[in-house]
Amino acid sequence: MNRKYELVYIVSPDATDDQVTELHTQVEGIVQRLSGQIEKTDNWGRRKLAYEIGHHKEGTYVLHVINGSGELMKEIDRRLKVFDLVIRHLVVRVDEDERIVERRKTIRTEESRRRRVARGLPPDRQPGEGQKELDDDDQDDRFGGVEDVR
Amino acid sequence: MNGRRSGPSSSSSSSGGGRGGRAGAGGQGDKGKDGQRRPMFRRRKVCRFCAEKIDDINYKDSKLLMSFVPERAKISPRRISGTCALHQRKLRTAIMRARQLALIPYTSE
Repeated sequence: MNRKYELVYIVSPDATDDQVTELHTQVEGIVQRLSGQIEKTDNWGRRKLAYEIGHHKEGTYVLHVINGSGELMKEIDRRLKVFDLVIRHLVVRVDEDERIVERRKTIRTEESRRRRVARGLPPDRQPGEGQKELDDDDQDDRFGGVEDVR
Repeated sequence: MNGRRSGPSSSSSSSGGGRGGRAGAGGQGDKGKDGQRRPMFRRRKVCRFCAEKIDDINYKDSKLLMSFVPERAKISPRRISGTCALHQRKLRTAIMRARQLALIPYTSE
């Protein structure tokens, strides 16, 4: 049973680039051994952590999108717990959610096409047509400037 | 906020009394609710995810999530943010995941 997972791990800021790439090859090795495949790798680089984790204030984030079985992810989870360099990791199954999002999107576009045809318009929206962007005052004022508050 | 609260609560208390007494009084209570004008106009809150058609609430989108965790870094309740039940549920899991990855704080100092 092949499923799609997302794996994010935070590498300690003390780690060198070589160590990060070595970690990557280790993960890749596990994935290949258990007949999975890495679909995407994304290195977010160094980021500030929202709170301290074991006296670290920064960390290097790495994201993998992995196709594989549950056993594979279990194994990766077990291995990542052991590495001291990895200060935090998270495995999330995403295929089901993606499917739901996809379905909702197709339903929405079909619905809008159906309605447009019923109104005697071409099914797709022409450029320059439709509502303008919503104004900011449509949202709750009290939460306007929250983003920059710590 | 007080102005808005006072309208429905007073009418609901009257309908509650009606329910206790006779069965037919419930309709009257509803009529009273309609007839009563709100003292202060307040914009109806709309779920932001429904309005902007954001389908997936992703834990990686910390900027979006941060707008739902005001100062104290607690998740803002539905009655304040106006999020619908479905999206609030998804928002909650997304925020909890983001917190695990230190993208969003659990508390603010």
